[in-house]
Amino acid sequence: MTLRLQSAWLLEAVSEIATIDSVFFPFVHRFSALNWLSRRDFALSVNAFSPSQAMLLRAWLDGSYGVFSERNLQKFNQQIKNPLDLSMNPFRAWKDRLFDRQQLDYLFYWREAAFEIEEESQREIFWSAVYQIMSYWLSNRACEVEVECRPDEIMGLMLNRHAEFIKGREAKVAITSLSLDELAPAETCLTLFPMVFGDEENAEMTLQVVFDAWHNGHDDLEQARRQIRMQLRKYQIDLARPTDYYTITKLSANSKITALIWSGLDLPPALYEQEMVRPLQKAFAARYAKSQLLMKAVDRTCDAYDYLLLFY
Amino acid sequence: MLITFFNAILIVLITWLAYLYFDQREKAMPARERYAQLMRGVASIVDRLEGYDKEHSREIAELSERIGVACGLNDQQLQSLNAAAMLHDIGELLLPRDLVKSDKKLEGDELELLRTHTLLGELHLKAQIEDLDEVPTLIRWHHERWDGLGYPDNLKGEEIPLAARIIALADAVSAMKATRDYRKRQYSRDEDVVAEVKRLSGMQFDPQLVKTWIAIGCPLASIKQ
Repeated sequence: MTLRLQSAWLLEAVSEIATIDSVFFPFVHRFSALNWLSRRDFALSVNAFSPSQAMLLRAWLDGSYGVFSERNLQKFNQQIKNPLDLSMNPFRAWKDRLFDRQQLDYLFYWREAAFEIEEESQREIFWSAVYQIMSYWLSNRACEVEVECRPDEIMGLMLNRHAEFIKGREAKVAITSLSLDELAPAETCLTLFPMVFGDEENAEMTLQVVFDAWHNGHDDLEQARRQIRMQLRKYQIDLARPTDYYTITKLSANSKITALIWSGLDLPPALYEQEMVRPLQKAFAARYAKSQLLMKAVDRTCDAYDYLLLFY
Repeated sequence: MLITFFNAILIVLITWLAYLYFDQREKAMPARERYAQLMRGVASIVDRLEGYDKEHSREIAELSERIGVACGLNDQQLQSLNAAAMLHDIGELLLPRDLVKSDKKLEGDELELLRTHTLLGELHLKAQIEDLDEVPTLIRWHHERWDGLGYPDNLKGEEIPLAARIIALADAVSAMKATRDYRKRQYSRDEDVVAEVKRLSGMQFDPQLVKTWIAIGCPLASIKQ
């Protein structure tokens, strides 16, 4: 699911066509990909592919959430001095597979502690900080790098990063979590489709699986994986299926411009042009008079390019 | 006959191809060296204008190259890495001088403006060189972080090309032991720099890259210094 959303590049290309102040994302792969746009006063309508992704979007992008309070930090991020009873820990099956004993103690404690937080927004910020911590632990574990920071210290660090990230941000993000069939087109200047191909599991997907299981209070990764795959499948656009053209054209019905972005690897640009761009041009021919394909090299030795296809 | 007519043709052909290859390589080498010298010249002008106390860009380029070699990058990738590392801060030349050389820690709009140097660098180089060259894109992403909280695009993990991750690590290592207008040297002892890099593994830096950096002896500067 490698996808590089280069917002400044997108706006640079779009600004030659029209002035835009609002963007609709029927799907977004990761909350932080929207940072650049949300910092620049664009009104964003974003559809998350799962409830936990919607929570992350709210916690990190909605300025009205503010920062996690110092009082709550003192109260809900205490140091665990003695190991907790492992038999009580619902995530014990992950021991030494995903996390070590101390990390599991904290995952158990943080999840339970969060239920004691009165304000929902504060609870969501706290949980979303755990997402970042899991990412940190899992990526170090994958490379067999020993983590030297204590978990409660990392929580403090992550909440500091969150405070920096949210600082000065305005609440101009409308967040939904619907399937593409239920979703209606938004009244925005630009509709943007980040394109997802295939469902091969990468580190980010594993993180989402583990986080979803943890967030739902169980250790069954297969169940979480099935759930996410089912949700993602609705967004994995198979251009050989005519209904997908229908989905794309339907959801962009109220926008002056439609943009599709994707990141390619191991395939030459000409192939994407032939297999994707031309059929899409045909599908959009009745709605838009013009189209433009832009490309950027990321690593020419492995045919890694980022693509931006505009219809206007 | 020991050598058939066909074999003789084959030998002549191989010799001729080998001659062509070495001849071309000999011609190409000086051009490559001239290119490297030119790049160092441009980078030193950038460093001088930025007010660095040493050859900052060259140091980062050489450090990046050491890490890049250890990561197994091929020649073409190393060449792009070198060019991007040499010119990584070129966008700062297009920003107001008082902003870049400010002696206070920047915040708010000023910080946002400073952060556009990654985009300005990319934009201006892109206008000058071949459309599908990756060097401008690498410059764009030299401040991305492994955890997705960097800038400008908030790329995360392996979405960030390896070369850009390498420059980010080399730049940060260099910054940790450098003096800036707005602050003193962050870490006076080399072991503190190493500890900080390890602490930020998986947050700011790619853990695999940190591991590689440790495996080659935690270089803090180029060998040539």
